[in-house]
Amino acid sequence: MKNRASVVVIGGGVVGNSIAYNLAKRGVEDVVLVERSFLASGATGRCGAGVRQQWGTRQNCLLARESMKVFENFKDTLNVNVDIELKQKGYLLLAYSNNELEQFKKNIKVQNSLGIPSKLVTPQEAKYIVPDLNTDKLIGGAFCPTDGHANPFKVTYGYSKAAENLGVEINKFTEVNEIKTEKGKIIGVQTNKGFIETSKVVDAAGGWSQQIAKMVNAELPVYSERHEILVTEPIKPVLDPMLMSFSYNIYCQQTPDGSFIMGYGPDNEPPSFDMHSSWQFLETMSKKAVWLLPPLNKLRIIRQWAGLYNMSPDKQPIVSKIKEVENFYVACGFSGHGFMIAPAIGVLMADIITESDLTYNVVLDIERYKRGEIISEPSVV
Amino acid sequence: MNNIEKAELIVVGGGPAGLSAALAAADYGVNVILVEEREFLGGQLVKQTHRFFGSEKEYAGTRGIDISKFLVEKIKENENIKILTSSRVLGIYNDKIVTILANNKMIKYSPKALILATGASEKFLAFENNDLPGVFGAGAVQTLMNLYGVLPSKKILMVGSGNIGLIVSYQLLQAGVKVACIIEAAPRIGGYSVHASKLARMGVPILTSHTIKKAVGKDKVEGAIICQLDSSWREIKDTEQFIKCDAICLSVGLSPLTDLLKQANVKTSYVPELGGYIPLRDENMETSIKNLFVAGDVSGIEEATSAIIEGQIAGLNVAKRIKKDIDNQVKIEKKIAEAKDELELLRAGPVGEKVRNGLKKIGLDPLKNYGEKVSTEEFDISFLMKTGIPSKENLKKKLPLSEDVFNKGPIAISECFQQFPCDPCVKSCPFDAISENGSINNIPYVNFEKCTGCGICVSKCPGLAMFVVQKNYTDSTSLVTLPYEFLPKPVKNQIVLVLNREGTEICEGTVKRVRDGKIQDKTTVVTIEIPKEYFLEARNIKVDGGQKHG
Amino acid sequence: MDENKVIICRCEDVTLAEIRNLIKQGFTTVEEIKRLVRSGMGPCQGKTCGLLIAREIAEITNTSIEKIEIQNMRPPYGGVTFEEVIAGDTIEE
Ligand SMILES: Cc1cc2nc3c(=O)[nH]c(=O)nc-3n(C[C@H](O)[C@H](O)[C@H](O)COP(=O)(O)OP(=O)(O)OC[C@H]3O[C@@H](n4cnc5c(N)ncnc54)[C@H](O)[C@@H]3O)c2cc1C
Ligand SMILES: Cc1cc2nc3c(=O)[nH]c(=O)nc-3n(C[C@H](O)[C@H](O)[C@H](O)COP(=O)(O)OP(=O)(O)OC[C@H]3O[C@@H](n4cnc5c(N)ncnc54)[C@H](O)[C@@H]3O)c2cc1C
Ligand code: SF4
Ligand code: SF4
Repeated sequence: MKNRASVVVIGGGVVGNSIAYNLAKRGVEDVVLVERSFLASGATGRCGAGVRQQWGTRQNCLLARESMKVFENFKDTLNVNVDIELKQKGYLLLAYSNNELEQFKKNIKVQNSLGIPSKLVTPQEAKYIVPDLNTDKLIGGAFCPTDGHANPFKVTYGYSKAAENLGVEINKFTEVNEIKTEKGKIIGVQTNKGFIETSKVVDAAGGWSQQIAKMVNAELPVYSERHEILVTEPIKPVLDPMLMSFSYNIYCQQTPDGSFIMGYGPDNEPPSFDMHSSWQFLETMSKKAVWLLPPLNKLRIIRQWAGLYNMSPDKQPIVSKIKEVENFYVACGFSGHGFMIAPAIGVLMADIITESDLTYNVVLDIERYKRGEIISEPSVV
Repeated sequence: MNNIEKAELIVVGGGPAGLSAALAAADYGVNVILVEEREFLGGQLVKQTHRFFGSEKEYAGTRGIDISKFLVEKIKENENIKILTSSRVLGIYNDKIVTILANNKMIKYSPKALILATGASEKFLAFENNDLPGVFGAGAVQTLMNLYGVLPSKKILMVGSGNIGLIVSYQLLQAGVKVACIIEAAPRIGGYSVHASKLARMGVPILTSHTIKKAVGKDKVEGAIICQLDSSWREIKDTEQFIKCDAICLSVGLSPLTDLLKQANVKTSYVPELGGYIPLRDENMETSIKNLFVAGDVSGIEEATSAIIEGQIAGLNVAKRIKKDIDNQVKIEKKIAEAKDELELLRAGPVGEKVRNGLKKIGLDPLKNYGEKVSTEEFDISFLMKTGIPSKENLKKKLPLSEDVFNKGPIAISECFQQFPCDPCVKSCPFDAISENGSINNIPYVNFEKCTGCGICVSKCPGLAMFVVQKNYTDSTSLVTLPYEFLPKPVKNQIVLVLNREGTEICEGTVKRVRDGKIQDKTTVVTIEIPKEYFLEARNIKVDGGQKHG
Repeated sequence: MDENKVIICRCEDVTLAEIRNLIKQGFTTVEEIKRLVRSGMGPCQGKTCGLLIAREIAEITNTSIEKIEIQNMRPPYGGVTFEEVIAGDTIEE
């Protein structure tokens, strides 16, 4: 391991790897990434891995669209031979109330203005797209055919490989225990495998980002929350798009290998770092799933697990430098959609660190909360 | 999201460990729920049609299936035990809720204590074409044969010479399947010598320092290529050999079935001596999680006898914790101490060394009270452990010192040369003529003074290692009484072929007596008249129209 | 030996060649290999292949197998259908 770096990126999830790659691509030399376990061992490797562009705010649509471009041309863009198993069979968002449908209409306007090919669908059309769908109480939906799913481990691996090709050093099984400062300035990072002298640190530690920030005495306005998920045995393809309902708080998707992956946003989940699965999830999820897609009834659940959502006050990412400590950067607060926008986040963070203009016209800095500029994104699970 | 039932103790697994754990706890009034995935209780025992070696106190000398019947009987009589068969434990969650799939419903329990006795799963081997149809695990072969009466093939290659490989080979022969040979990668046979000797007498070659390289065949197994290994387990060049067979049976060991333990985040450690990743636990069988106990193969691969005792220890400890009145506490303490002693004794011999080393690795002292009395092998059994055939020196040591003893009349000869925990011979002799000098691990000796030649021991020894010889039956002939477990059974006055310890035909013999009563329990005891010169050689017979051997 | 004909994970049909290739690329944990080639992702959750993969890792990376973590095990053991979960949740006391 190098004992000196220009930037140390903490966290080997999809975000950390995307940042490391983009820094190197900008010509930043001696970037070192440290991950305490294996790559994508955190939220990334545990996530539903849906990629959608149907968002309610202009900036989320933009980040998702730009990221989708990368997913679509992954090998060429990154110049790596990694198949990320991108499946573009759409996202079908379900509306059960007029309010919801109205919101979808508004969203679609924004989306279409950015060239995202989403459209409103009737319950009949929804049934046509997903023949097994229970259309009870359904009053309509939104569908974008280019949304989909990608393998999160392969995406992360692809970024790390591309970063390595550009000279980044990736250190797995290396845990950061301390960030050393002198007179408010970072001087290095202490890991279990040795000390790395550096003046710049990127905190991309996902659900643990607030712990990393504490190492420089900074308080991030984020907390972590357990979210659970399950997978079934594989069957022949029957469900094309990712299904999602905001009012019933669920998502469900059939992956290219044939298994169904699904989860829901829990009520009253306390902040914690707990990643145990629960029988309660199994029961609630089963009822929701069978209600939504009745033929799932006979399907066998083979595994359940959990990961951490990192939550910010507006449930939107924080990609920012912080005032308190010079050269300490954070990319956190991704709640349930950090995977799908990770390609764009890497670009933004590289902009910030290299002090360039932001490539995308978005506001994700941490000071927005003080300014009272809370982002209001209606479309989250 | 409610209807969680309360329970005092849940025992997972209805094998010997689980059964004895449930009984031990229920005897002190603990309410037990016994959960077994299969439709019947008994675990591995149900497939075992052979007599178990081990401690007679824990039912050795009895066929596995009968041990199971006996334990299950007791379980069913016990009012404190609720049995859930065809029920699989799905999950053990952080909040100590146990989910069980029973009757097509996922039900939930909140127990005070849990004993996991889930047994083991078979190891698999990496070789070329190992996915070819006709490559089986020993467990699958046993299930096909003993539960469903289906023969897996006509001629089989057995890979692995542990007790399971040896016993399954023998059962295959009994069912009429030929065993091409048994190969073993280690330089010595893994199982007990008596089991190997049974096969040697049937003419089945046992090749140590050999492994399988490749399965051969287009759509199914038509043969196998095996080769020899050097002392560092590397292939020796130009030793490839083609073995014709239509099935390959893998019996390369078991590893503890720790899925539920891993779910519950019990600390585990890799201990090859005990089969792989095993749960860490204390001498009371409690894991790193309070009130979560283990017993039997899941805590480290051993045997039914030790599984039963471990089950008792775990069950008693749960009882001690739940039933707090003083009277019980004292009684339970005493029983726990007894069980621990018994377990130590069982592991004290030379064959227990591996297990002892394994237990030491997880911080246990397997000979706490037993001290340094550990025995080392009494005989040089290196040849026996390579071939299954006892050496001349081995044999000599178990024969009477003086030829005169043979003149006295019929006497028993024990052809058991290895020190392992087994004692049915000792316990079966009505005249107290067999002794192991106080330790179940010692080699049994016949006291020729006391022995009447009654032949009771012949059918009781699970190793088929007891014979009775009467040298001077007539001037030119002797009588040899031996155990025989094949069909058809010989009948009186029938002429049979007589084989030696290597399975070679040496002469003909005349059947003089066939004992096949309740006592013999399917191990027929046959007495044959043979030319005198062979009375120390004749150890097996071939009955016309009977199973082809080898 | 033709490593392409040696099956390590029977549920997902993963060969020894694939496993060795990944280990040589630096994926030296059972969990990483599982995520890349799906070994042990089948219903048996890697009961048989886990140990074989651990052994390969130990050999290639020259570490003792004691140091190698086996894959995680998650509920529900052996699998359960949605209707079975629901049936259990709706039974009366
Ligand atoms: C159940 C679930 C479903 C989801 N579904 C989706 C979805 O469908 N689509 C989507 O876009 N997003 C989804 N998400 C969200 C998405 O997974 C995350 O937003 C995203 O993976 C965040 O990536 P990350 O790199 O920031 O964090 P992580 O992947 O968590 O990476 C952080 C890394 O930092 C490491 N680390 C922590 N502390 C230290 C230290 N001290 N030293 C060194 N390393 C350290 C951790 O080991 C970890 O690997 C889901 C999340 C969950 C939990
Ligand atoms: C061929 C062969 C010959 C043998 N010969 C001898 C011998 O001669 N002498 C001797 O002492 N030993 C012998 N043994 C070894 C002996 O059979 C085992 O050591 C013993 O059965 C171990 O007992 P156990 O209770 O730990 O496990 P098992 O007998 O394997 O029982 C475990 C039980 O747990 C159940 N189970 C597992 N998971 C779950 C779950 N999630 N929910 C519900 N139920 C579950 C299984 O279905 C199984 O019935 C032999 C073994 C074999 C294979
Ligand atoms: S032959 Fe009879 S007396 Fe002699 S040892 Fe056997 S059981 Fe005892
Ligand atoms: S002779 Fe005795 S100790 Fe030896 S196998 Fe037979 S019963 Fe067991």
